Order: sequence, then structure tokens, then C-alpha cells
Amino acid sequence: MAKWGMVIDLEKCVGCQACTIACGMENTRLPGEHWQDVIFFQEGTYPNTELKWFPRPCMHCENPSCVAVCPTRATYKTEEGQVLVDWERCIGCKYCMIACPYGVRFYTEEAPRYGGPDLKAVFPAADAHSWSPPWKAPQEDWKHGVGVQPHDVVSKCTFCYHRVSKAPKGTADLDPSNPVMREYTPACVVACSPGARFFGDLSNPNSEVNKQIANKNGVRLLDHLGNRPQVYYLTGVGGAIPNTHTTKA
Amino acid sequence: MTDLSIHTGLTRRRFLQATGAAGALGAAGLSFDAANGLTLQKVHAQPAAGPAGQTVITKSFCAQCPARCGIDVYTTNGRVHAIYGTLDNPLAGGKLCPKGHYGVYLLYDADRIKGPMKRTNPKKGRDEDPKFVPISWDEALQTVADRLNALREKGESHRYATITGRGWGYTDVGLLKQFGQLYGTPNFNLGHSSICSDASETVKHIMDGHHAYSAYDYSNCNYLLVFGAGFLESFRPFTGNMRNWGIMRSKAPKTKVTVVDVHLNTTGSAADRLLLTKPGTDGALALAMAHVILSEGLWDRQFVGDFVPVEQPKDADAPRLPEHKFEPGKEVDPATFKEIWTVGVAEWWNVELKDRTPEWAEKITTVPARDIAAVAREFALTKPAVALFERGASAHTNGVYNGMAIHALNALTGNMFAKGGLRGYQMKTAWAKLPIKAEDFMDDYAKAPERKKPRVDGAKSKRYPLAKNMIQEIAINSLKGEPYKLDTVMFYMTGPIFSAPDCSKWEEALRQIFVIDTSPYPGETNRFADLILPDNTYLERLQIADTYPYEGYPISMIRTPAVKPIFDTKTFGDAVIEIGKRIKGPTSEYYKKIGNTENIVKWMCEGFKDKPGDNGVTDFETFAQKGVWYRKPYAYLQERGVFYEWDGKGYNKVMTPEEVKAKVMPTPTGKFEIKVTELEHHAEFVHERLGIAPERAPFPQWVAPRHGGDGDLHFISPKLAGQAEGRSANLPHVAAMIQPTQGGKRNVFLEMHPEAAGKRGIKDGDRVRIKNKVGKIEAIVRVTHTTRPDTVALPMIHGHWAQGRWAQGAGRLPTGSTNEVTENLSEPLSGLACFHSGLVSVEKV
Amino acid sequence: MIAIREPRDFADVFKYLGALWREEGALRFLRICWNLGREPSAAGAWWKSCLIVGVVAGGYSLYMLFTVGHASFNTSSDGVNWGLAIATYVFFALTSSGLTFIASMPMVFGFRELYPIAKRAIWLAIITLIAGFSVLALELGHPFRMLWAMPTGLQVMSPMFWMGVFYSIDLVLLLIKFYLLWQEDWDSPLSHFVGTASFVAVILASGMLGLVFGSIVMRPMWYGSFTSIYYILTGALCGAAATVVTTYMAYDFDRAKMPPVLREMAEGDHMPKVFATLIGIALVMILTRFWTGLWSNLDGLEGFHALARSPLFYGEVLIGLGLPFLMMLSSRIEHKPGMQMAAAFLVLGAMFINRYEFIVGGQLVPMFKGTWVASLTEYTPSLTEWALTAFGFAIALGLYALGEKLFNLSATPQSLMVARAGDRRMAH
Repeated sequence: MAKWGMVIDLEKCVGCQACTIACGMENTRLPGEHWQDVIFFQEGTYPNTELKWFPRPCMHCENPSCVAVCPTRATYKTEEGQVLVDWERCIGCKYCMIACPYGVRFYTEEAPRYGGPDLKAVFPAADAHSWSPPWKAPQEDWKHGVGVQPHDVVSKCTFCYHRVSKAPKGTADLDPSNPVMREYTPACVVACSPGARFFGDLSNPNSEVNKQIANKNGVRLLDHLGNRPQVYYLTGVGGAIPNTHTTKA
Repeated sequence: MTDLSIHTGLTRRRFLQATGAAGALGAAGLSFDAANGLTLQKVHAQPAAGPAGQTVITKSFCAQCPARCGIDVYTTNGRVHAIYGTLDNPLAGGKLCPKGHYGVYLLYDADRIKGPMKRTNPKKGRDEDPKFVPISWDEALQTVADRLNALREKGESHRYATITGRGWGYTDVGLLKQFGQLYGTPNFNLGHSSICSDASETVKHIMDGHHAYSAYDYSNCNYLLVFGAGFLESFRPFTGNMRNWGIMRSKAPKTKVTVVDVHLNTTGSAADRLLLTKPGTDGALALAMAHVILSEGLWDRQFVGDFVPVEQPKDADAPRLPEHKFEPGKEVDPATFKEIWTVGVAEWWNVELKDRTPEWAEKITTVPARDIAAVAREFALTKPAVALFERGASAHTNGVYNGMAIHALNALTGNMFAKGGLRGYQMKTAWAKLPIKAEDFMDDYAKAPERKKPRVDGAKSKRYPLAKNMIQEIAINSLKGEPYKLDTVMFYMTGPIFSAPDCSKWEEALRQIFVIDTSPYPGETNRFADLILPDNTYLERLQIADTYPYEGYPISMIRTPAVKPIFDTKTFGDAVIEIGKRIKGPTSEYYKKIGNTENIVKWMCEGFKDKPGDNGVTDFETFAQKGVWYRKPYAYLQERGVFYEWDGKGYNKVMTPEEVKAKVMPTPTGKFEIKVTELEHHAEFVHERLGIAPERAPFPQWVAPRHGGDGDLHFISPKLAGQAEGRSANLPHVAAMIQPTQGGKRNVFLEMHPEAAGKRGIKDGDRVRIKNKVGKIEAIVRVTHTTRPDTVALPMIHGHWAQGRWAQGAGRLPTGSTNEVTENLSEPLSGLACFHSGLVSVEKV
Repeated sequence: MIAIREPRDFADVFKYLGALWREEGALRFLRICWNLGREPSAAGAWWKSCLIVGVVAGGYSLYMLFTVGHASFNTSSDGVNWGLAIATYVFFALTSSGLTFIASMPMVFGFRELYPIAKRAIWLAIITLIAGFSVLALELGHPFRMLWAMPTGLQVMSPMFWMGVFYSIDLVLLLIKFYLLWQEDWDSPLSHFVGTASFVAVILASGMLGLVFGSIVMRPMWYGSFTSIYYILTGALCGAAATVVTTYMAYDFDRAKMPPVLREMAEGDHMPKVFATLIGIALVMILTRFWTGLWSNLDGLEGFHALARSPLFYGEVLIGLGLPFLMMLSSRIEHKPGMQMAAAFLVLGAMFINRYEFIVGGQLVPMFKGTWVASLTEYTPSLTEWALTAFGFAIALGLYALGEKLFNLSATPQSLMVARAGDRRMAH
């Protein structure tokens, strides 16, 4: 059984947000429903000033606090390590959003914050979906939080469950430059131009993700909380992950 | 003459099959079945809906910037839902920048125009509803043709103009020259390049002979010196830059990067060193670097040449004479410096460089002298290296001279046409030439000497003799009637009413002109338009184009429609052909022979038969299937001062100076001209416009910039990584994710240094007015250390007042285009609008 | 005017109302309902105003929820996830718990002189819990799904699961206890058992509500077992304040109309001192919480600085708690009915602010929303959220008034009345 994990090399990441937009496209997310966001912050004083950033997907924790707090077991962890939401069980209490230290969960019954009309109202669904844009992706699997969600539930990054779960058994690396694996690779990894993302099996000692973690000193966000993320960051030269929640200096 | 479809050997029957109208003959391609994984499916040049539930991938290329990355368009049940980079496209490499994915939203933009329309409200204004009513395509096209025919009858065909933005090659903007020739207007294609990046092309043109953008060999480069070019935000090809960034920053040796800019952006942050210079002073930095390179003897002797050795006294006991060298403050005898591939280095030293010390530059730029010297040494000693620049350095009144100083660094260090350096210029694709010549269809009217009228934009006139286009002058010229007033204007892919400096002037001008807009989206031009001929969006088009310069070898791409046009729209090129068919006289014959753009595409692909692509593309079908044709490698290479030509196996053929002049550096001297011949010819003009003594005109030199507007802060309007051409302001997905410095959701912020803000009593989050003599706009301030205390930065994406429900959403800021506070001031040589050094004042609202 | 008699049991309530509807017709029935408050009494006025507020606020919030949905809230994934509605729920749930504590004093701990307020307190505990649950249900995305998903999910790790379990038990026990008192069963072993069980359940329920927040280490402003204790004790304060207010109201704000035991208590020293003690405990807990919050540099506690800058905080601590504390300590004014009621009202207001501050304050530090939320998050409740809160109050107060009309909430065991009468005779 694979244990899927991601490595993000912050030395290569250029903060372009293609991951954010590709994720939104692949998973038919609403504007601002950034399952995969890029968090920027500024440090230093002019002229020695810098911007820092890090992409922030769901960490798919080994000890996910969201799973523990969910009163209905709508949020759960799969055998292959993805933390998912069963939209047929979710009651929209948002306790998981409260408990997640990484802020990766979204309740989309919100007033739009992008200016202009609510896109949900412009492309309303005739059925139980919360909206139905013409660019809606074909995959749908509410038990795994895949597809356009029904109204009033919590949504989150699925590690592109609809793609990854189709990968052949025993796959160590999902490398988008390999035409055979490309369609099974999470959208953010496919989209990443500088190749800052790696995706593969953390339980396979020979996987590329494990090589990267071992050779380039992989670290996890807020590791002291003990959630044990399955997303690792390589900080290299110039990259950094914050160890506090507020990114304002 | 026969028409094209017979020339291509396609019978009508085969033609129908190939276009997929009969659905029988299509090209084979990869598609992805959600249930069964990868399968081989028929993919058609025309959209072919796959079986229900099956995902079909069609090949196309992106439209969100000039780079033209190849894209795989995923369509299921006739709906496009995903776009990814094409894996075997050399430019995309399977990747896309954020903008590449916008296509799904652009195709289904809820504000799209659904068909041709005409205006019924004669009054024009920002707040005037045009009261458009739908009309048929036939009526729309006939309306245009009637106007054009009427102008011709009056002998005023020159008063018709087509103003163009991003052209996509041979089947749209590429058609306009012939149209102008046949119809009789010099204004057939008034391009937008003078509000784009003309200065960098001009610099390359006058120094190394290529009026073009350069191809750089980043993946082999060890030092990258970027002047004002948003390498990780806006510099093209963005996806290629980022892919190469991943390589540069993880290869051994790692590429060291120094960035020169006026505010902190992601490029400056990701770089090893950021030099925050004063706006418009990049040239001073580059001159000081050249000074260090020469005075410290760090130049590349194999490319540039060297001093001849001093003849020492015969007498062995006599004191040795010192060898020649560049000593700060002292002139050298140009005769003692023997150049190889450059012209004018020693004279340059005497005329300009000898006094351009880092200490001098520090006073101009505020960048510490020791940093300037350190970068100069690193740049010269780390090989291969690239010095590149874009609008940050060149969109100033001294832009070309700034650019010349920067570009000269590539020559001084021998990085021209070198592996890992400035690799060269774009090679041409093996397209077949159309067998129908427009000249054969010109009537007496078109041939008459009265048709030789000056262009309305003034490009190539006495005022802008070297400029390619002067779009920013059109409104004023037409208003003044100098050289004449325009009667009818068609806009394609550009909206100077928003994007040209002092854009409000256009509102006045367009009130007096019959305006035809071709955009499939609402916009500011649309608000002033009399007729709308909506184009297909790029995912609905069949189109071919050549790459933006990447690594020099030729790359061309094809757009095959992923879906049939979802509204009653028509590809712009076909609209032009249809108008042509309605022009009286032989013109209509010409266009009847051409038929449509699809014929052109198919004809041109015949050229691949003799020159197949490296990926096996030999004709239209294989092209449509792969999406790209390319032939590696770049034909020329300079190594250790020797130019080689590719002979099919390697860079084995040593080139003679004559061959280099003909093929590699087509300047008047066949050398890299630091003493620029073209500027010698225009010395008087330079003297008149920039106040430079005529004898100094040919050399890269420090010219103090003149800043437009008025006020106490420099105003710059950078382009963000997520800003697509034209349409991203109305995409809520973009508004929600675009991040000027510190996140915006719906707004972009005016970046302001705490000191500058404090002095004016402005706090973070305050709403402020940015104003000067040109106009005023309002925005929200972000007080941040990301910009100089003398400079404010406002990204140019938002502020649209007629672009759709989201772009105009309530409370969206800024309140207008950044160009409403940008004076219409142009660099005199290239004609580039000076976007990046204007002055404004900022006050709390 | 139609006389209203006390129904005999729960079934009778519905039977009676049903009969009234059938006999009088819908319009007259509504008029009768409206006129329940015609009798000039405080409860009557409250009933009428609550009907108006309930219909307007409830109508508006329901209209917004059905048309716009939860997008009509100002809560956001990027900032405050739990807003005013949750604060309202917590306020009501803890007030309910506090009222159960008050009712337990005579019923579990043998303070028999408090019997005259027991039935009222139980009724109030029931209706505040109903008001709280109603607001919560309208805040939840799928409240009905909860009814099957929680029992079938059995996520025993989730504090919210246990909160649901304990508050459900609490509500059932309260209803049973109220029924028993209604049937004049004050002292049977069953009655005692239900009282004790109810006390245990409410400790668990309010403590578990505390743990819903206290378990969340990612939100250090909430984290720790302290939150449970804090909730239990401040809940008791709310219960006491609610009891003071409603008891006075039941006797038309006239002490002379009170039964002697109650009058003695109100006039005596104990009640103000106990009330002052509860306020004092709350003050100590709030101030120590703020002290550690302001003193510590721990990531996530920055919200305390924002809270300490807010005028609401000073309103809460100085006017809402400090002032009543001093009032109840002052021998000059502690006995005055007006002062006692003012103190109780101020405390209830302060505790409502406190719940809001606690819930929203804990979410002020954004969880990696750095770019979009450059510093602390901002939140102002929307009109819909305010309407929902008003609806909650209308439910609670309207049902209270109804209870005063339908039930003899001042019921006291006969034995107590007799015993006290005897005492008084002997004193003479």
C-alpha cells in the first residue's frame, strides 16, 4: 500500500501560483477556494528587503487533527494516506477548519471576496451541486470529496485523489515528465514549471520523494504540533518556511 | 490562378474530410479516458466530441502572452475543462505558467459577446450605453465593406486603419499587409509594439543587426544579470524562464543571479543579489560595470580583441614601457586597440567610460559602488553569462541608451552567440509560400502614387525615424488632423483607450471615428465601438504561429479548435478575408481565391514535407496531431572568438567574417557595434531630441532621463505573474489569487515605502489619490519595504471601467488605468512609451 | 379574554393548543396567542415584544438563509470560521448549564430555601438550550444530517461528538425533571436521582463544550483544560444572573409579591455575596487569561493584544463585571432590587460579549493565510447573523414568557411553605 507524499523544493519555487490556478481548474474550485495556495510574506527593511513565499497544499497529515475532531467521521484518512471529506456525511460544522493548523479547508458558502457577482449565482446548478460552471471537470466522487461539491460542506485538497488513485500499484514516483505517469500525477505537480514539486510513495525507500527528503534535508511545516505532515519542504538556499502562523514580520 | 484548395491537392471532398466536417478522416492523437487511462483516439483538426464521458485532448497553443507555449486542451462531452502544457513542445516542456490555465475561464467567460452587433446610441462616452443590437454577420461585414468602398470612392482609403495588438501570425495580422496593399491604406497594421518593448528590439537592431528579441541559453548559463525585466513574473517566455530557473538553481555550478530593479518583486527576491536602483538609471549601472570590466582588464580578448603590445626599447637595459591599458580618467589611443568582433570599444572608453566609475554611478543610482564593482567582476569572470534587460530599464526617455550600455556587456564578455550566453535570434520556420500574390490583384487605384501617404501614427516619420510603430500617437494625430483624420478604425487584440499612455485622449479621438471592435469580450474599446465583429477565442480557432524567441532554433505551433465556436463568432482572419471579398474590384477576386484561413494554414504546412520537424511532423495532419513543429539546433555558435555554423552533425564549419555579417551579425560593419553606425547616421536627430553632441551619439552613454508627469514620487506599473494579456481583470479566479506583494483578493495595492507614507500621513490600507498633470486615479496603499522611498508601484492589471461584471465589480480598485496618470512621452529612437519613470504625487483621500 | 389554565402534562399542552386552534380558528388562535400578553405584566410585555422580534428577526434570517444561504454570514474560510452564531449558541448553552446548577442547589445539595426558584430555573434551562440549539442548527450546513451522521459515525475522538451526546442527555433529563416538578414530585427518589443525573450531565456537557475549544492546540487562545473550568464557572454566573432577572420579573419587579423565603433571600446578605463571588471568580478567570495571553510571546496569542485594544473588552470587564461586583459588595446598595437587577443585566451583557470575544478572538490569528490576511483577521457580523442572534433571544424570552403564562413556575413544595410558616410563627 502506497503512502503518498509530496516534496516542495522552495529553492526552485518562484511563487508564480500556477499550482494554485491549475488546482482550481483541475478540481473546479471557486475563485479564492485555494486548496493549493501560495503564501507570501515580506521581511527585512529597504534596501535589504525580501519577499518570501511557500506553497501550501493540504499536508495530508499522518496525525490529522481534522479527522479527530469531525463529529460524523465525514473527514477521514484513506489507507493510501489522503485525508478526504465525505460530502455525504459532512454537516458543515466547520470544526475541522478550526482544528486544522495549516488553514487548508474551505467552506464555500461565503460571500464572494473577488469583486463582482457571485460566480455560483452566475452558473447555478439545477441539482444538488453548489454550482455548475461550463468548465466543470468530469470526475465526481462525493464520498472522496472529488468533483463540484454540494452546498454547505467543507472542501479541501484531495492530493488529486481522482488521478493518483488510478496510478498502477507499486508506483514509486508520479513524475509528470513521464508520459505514462503524467495523467496520474496531481495537477499542481504537473503544472509546476521550475519542477519544484515531487510526488511519490513515502513508504518506498527508493522513491524520489524519499531521496529528496534525505538528501536535501526535508522539513515539515509546524512539525512541533505533531500532525506529521506528508508534505515536506526543502528550504535549500533562500527558501524558508515560517514557524509561526502570522507571516507578518 | 486557381484557388488554394486545388493547389494544395485537396479536392473538395477530401477537404471536407480533412476538416472533420464529414467526421471521417482525422489525425490520430493521444486522449485520456477517465476510466481506462491512456488510449489512442482519433483527434480532428476541427473539434470532434469524443464518445460520452471520454476525454479528448486537442493540441493548441496559449494566448495569454507572446510566448505561445503548446497546450493540451482537455475536452469531455464537448466541454473544455482543463489545459496543461504539451509535454513534447520545447517551449512548454509539459508546463505552463499560471496564465496558461486561464483558457477554460476565457472560453466560457460569462460576459462574452455572443455575435456581431451594431451601436444604436450615437452618443459615445465612458458612461454611455452603446445600446448594441445584434445583427447578422452578412450585415456586419457589408457595413464595413460599404464604408471602405465609400472611402475608396472619395480617394480617402488611407483614412481606414487597423490597430493591432498580439497577432498570431499568418492567418490574422499576417493578412493585413496584403489587405492594405490591395485596398490602399498605409495604416493596414498599426502595431502596438511601441507600448510594448520596442526599445530592446531597437537596441539589438542597431548593435548586432537583429530587430528582434534575443534567444538566451539559460540552461547552460552560469551568471544571469537582469535589468528591469521581471524574469520570474513577466519576461517572456515565462514558462521557459521558470523551467530554466529550476535548472539554473539546481545545476552544478548553480547559476548566480543578480537583479536590478526599482522595487522588490519575486525575481529580485529569488535572486542572489538585488540592486534597487533609481528609476531610469539602469544605464549608469551598466556603464560603471563596463568601466570596471575594462579598467580591470576583465574583458573577453578573444571576442573583443586587445591592445597591441607596446614596442619596447631595443636596449635591454632601458626602462620597460608600460603596456597599454584602460586607466580610469585617462584616454587611450584607439589605434593601439585591435578589435576582433566589436567596433568602437576604445573610442567608447575615451568618449564615455573612462569617467564612469562605480563611485560616479552610486551618485546617480544610489546603489553602493562596491556592489556595482562586485557585480561587474562576477559577471565578467563567470562564464557563460547573460545580461538582459526589458522595460524596467528601457521604458524611459533614455531607454535605448540604457539598453545599449547593458547589451554591450554581453559583447565585452564574449557572451554573444555563445553557449550559455545570448544564444542568438529566432530562425525561420519552413513554411510554404502562398502561390497567390497580392501584387497581381492591385488595381489602378491601389497602384496610384496618391496612395503613398504617411502613416497616421508617425512611425518612420521625421519625428520618429527609427520607430517601428507609434500607437500612442494615433489619437492625438487623428484629433489634430496631422497628417489627417481617421475615418474608420478596426481594433484587433489591443485597447489603447486603456493601455496607451494618457489613455483618456483616446476617448476623445474615438468619438470622432467609426470604431470596429473585434474582441469577443466587452472592453473599453467596445464601449466606444460602432460595430462589433467578435473574434473566436483561441480555443475555438484553427491557427498557426511561430514561437517567441526561445533557444533560437525554429519552433512553430498550431491551434486546432477544441470546441466549435460556442457563439456566433468568426475568426478575425476570416472576417478580414470576408471583408476583402466585398471590396469592389480585383481585391475581391484575390480574397475569393484565398477562400479562408484554413486554406492558408493547410497550404503553409506543405513546407514541412521537405523539412520535417524533429518530432516527425511532415504535413498538416501530423502537425495537428503533435501541435508543434521544430528543428534543432540553432545554426550558429561563437566560441572563443570563432563563429561556427552547424553542418548537420556539429558546429564544425568555421565562418568567414563575410558569412558572419550575412548570417549572424548583419550590421553595416558585420561586427557588434558599440559605435553604432545607425546612430552616426542619425546623429543630428539624436542631438536634437536628446541633447547629445553629434560626435558622441553613436556610443552607449549616460543620458539623464526626463520624467513625465509631475510630483515627488516615481510611479511604476509592473506586470504581475498572473496578469494575462487584456482579459485577466474580468476573471474572478484571477482577481482572487493575484498577489501584488501582499495579497489582494479583489484589489491590487499601491506599494509605498513607510518613509514616503509617513511623510504624507498615509497608513497601510488607506485609500489614496495618485495624481499628476495628466490625471488621477485612486487605490489602496500597502505600506511596505518592497519599494524605494522615492518610488511607488501599482500593478497595471485592474482599473478597467468597461471590461465586464467582475472587472467593474463594486469597490474594485484602482479606479482607473495606471495610464491615466502616465504622460504620453516616448523614447525618441525606438518610440517606446516611457511607462516606468513618470512622476506623481500621492495623497490620502 | 380566554382563561389560560395550566396544562397537566406535555401531551396536554399540545392537546390544549390543538383544541384551541380547532375551536377558535386560525385567526382567533393567533389573536389569543398575541393576547397572551394582554394581562399587564412584565411577562406579557416580553411575550409581545419577543413575538415581534422573533417574527421580524427570525423571518429575516430564515429568508436570507433560504435565498442566499450561509453566504449571508460574514464568516470566511480565510478568517473567522465560527462567528456570532456560534457565540450565541455558546452563550445560551452555558446559561442553560448555569441555570441547571442553580436548580441543583435545592434539588441536589439540599439548599431547600432555593426551592421557589427551582422550577423556573429548570424551565429556563430548557428554553435557553432550545434557543441555543436553534441558532446552532441554523448555523450548521446540514443540521438534519447530523441526526444520523453523528450516531453512525461514533467519532469518540471528537469533543464535538461528546458535546452533542451530553447536551442531548442534559436536555432529556431537564425535560423529565421539569415534568416531575410539574407533577408536584419534589422529593421522590426518582426526582432526586434525575436531579443528580442532570447535574452530572450538565457538568459534562458544559465541560465538554469547553473542550471543543480547549482541545485545539492550534488555537492557543483556547487551548487547555482551563477552558472547561472557565465555561462551567462562568456558566454558573450566567445562570445566577438569569435567575435574578427572571425571578424579579415573575413578581412584577415587586419584592412584596414574592413568597417569604424568596423575599428574605433577596433582602438578605447571602444572595448578593454569592452573586458577587461568582462575578469575582469570572473576573479572576478573565483577567488571568488575559494576563497570560498578553504576557506570553507564544505564536497564536497575538489575538489577546487585539482584544485588549477593543472597547468591548473594557465594557465587559469594567462595566459588565467590575461594576456589578462592586455593587453587590456594597452594603448600601446590594439589597436594592433595582441594583440587583441592574447587576444581573450587566453581567448577562458582559457574558454575551465574553462569549463573542472568546470565540472570535480565538480565531483572530490566521492559520497560514499570510498573503490574504496580512495581520490578524477581521470580522464583523453580518445583518443576517445579528438577526439570527436576535431570533435566538426572541425564542428564549418568548418561551420564558409562555412558561410564565402556562406553568406555575413559582411552584414550591407544600412542605417547604408549611415549614417556613412555622419558623416564622416561632420567631414571633
